[in-house]
Amino acid sequence: MDFQLFLLIIVVVTALAFDFTNGFHDTGNAMATSIASGALKPKTAVALSASLNLVGAFLSTAVAATIAKGLVDSHLVTLELVFAGLVGGITWNLLTWLLGIPSSSSHALIGGIVGAMIAAVGGHGVIWKGLVSTVLIPAVLAPVIATGVAALGTWLVYRAVRGVGEERVNTGFRYGQIGSASLVSLAHGTNDAQKTMGVIFLALIAYGAADPKSSLPPLWVIVSCAVAIALGTYLGGWRVIRTLGRGLVEIQSPQGMAAESSSAAIILLSSHFGYSLSTTHVATGSILGSGVGKPGAEVRWGVAGRMATAWLVTLPSAGIVGGVTYFIVHGIGGFPGASIGFALLVTASGVIYLQSRKAPIDHKNVNAEWEGDLTAGTSSQAPPPRAASTVPPSVSNDATQGAKTR
Amino acid sequence: MTAWINLPAVSKIVLLGLLLGAGLPALFAVGVRLNAQGAGAAAHGGVVSQKNPALAALSWVLFALVLVAVVVGVLFVARDFIGQHTGLYILGAKHK
Repeated sequence: MDFQLFLLIIVVVTALAFDFTNGFHDTGNAMATSIASGALKPKTAVALSASLNLVGAFLSTAVAATIAKGLVDSHLVTLELVFAGLVGGITWNLLTWLLGIPSSSSHALIGGIVGAMIAAVGGHGVIWKGLVSTVLIPAVLAPVIATGVAALGTWLVYRAVRGVGEERVNTGFRYGQIGSASLVSLAHGTNDAQKTMGVIFLALIAYGAADPKSSLPPLWVIVSCAVAIALGTYLGGWRVIRTLGRGLVEIQSPQGMAAESSSAAIILLSSHFGYSLSTTHVATGSILGSGVGKPGAEVRWGVAGRMATAWLVTLPSAGIVGGVTYFIVHGIGGFPGASIGFALLVTASGVIYLQSRKAPIDHKNVNAEWEGDLTAGTSSQAPPPRAASTVPPSVSNDATQGAKTR
Repeated sequence: MTAWINLPAVSKIVLLGLLLGAGLPALFAVGVRLNAQGAGAAAHGGVVSQKNPALAALSWVLFALVLVAVVVGVLFVARDFIGQHTGLYILGAKHK
């Protein structure tokens, strides 16, 4: 087998793995509030969301063959670089999942690719203005807009149902939530599965196995991406769901429907007007807004602050992992380089997974009372929750491990 | 595009977002309220009102409106797909 084919296979497998983490990382965007308010049982919610993500992935028609278009110099993109970028994205997705922090999968992927690009050719391979105007500024605007819309929606909703029995209101809005959550899931499948299809398509073109002029990737790419994101969604990122559904705001079904409607409207509008906003940033802002807009509701600003911090460091962190991975893969070169890079990714994922098993969160305890921390209150036998500050060093651990291997 | 912020797009997203994202749940809430009043289940200053079929009917009209909005939303997501496979170009679907 020649090296380019070997690399292509590794890129495709890694891209599907990224798609999978994308799915389970983002289940909460659509379903967290429905699960928290009791509109849907946890298992039902993830199954519904997974099906709609699957359908949504097939609805994607215009798959851009350029990854990170307008962000990096596309002539300089190589298979090794795409692989390193994907490793950065996956590692960051897994770490934030471990901490139960919703963070943008697109940002993680973009960060990884930009970091790998800097490692490959230096800063001139990056289109910095594009990065600021199409990634950084929207990341600030999205949660602000979403918070405002959801806050107004929530306020109007509670104003309208004043004096109506609480049970009646909750029952009514539970039905409403099913509709609004479904719409968010569908939109997510359409947007996010497309991203991975674009990565694989690009890799196929680089290898010469696909025609750059065709507008759609081969069917097996569409099917495998759809299945990967749906499987990830079905697995359910319970840790992120818990933070979004219980950690930020105590959510009742009227707030849930207001938050999801706001998310659905903003995501669909932003894709319509060609100003892409991260699903995660929008959904998180909407949930925050549903707490702001409900009279007397408690918003845990500390949790919101931790998320904002995570968003700030997403690009640089994923970038560092992407850059280091590129150094390893390209520095060693050939079969050993790519194999070691892949082995490191598998090892890092395994370590993070084992870490998560220390205080597992699943469909059974996802709705447990929030006691100031992601894992507090989920199990009486659970060891004391690891403080947030103990995990980020594992990024640098990865990096140092990588450096040693090199 | 030389601007740092795509202001025309942002302002449209904000305005339509408020209208649809906040308006639709509010409309649904009005439906829930009318439905409760129609069933005689809403309290007015401690006095439970009489059943009112007209209000109940109106509430179902509002629910139907919200449902239509969701269906339009789904068609909107799927518009390019529908256009390519059926030749029906709706809601601004792109011609291939």
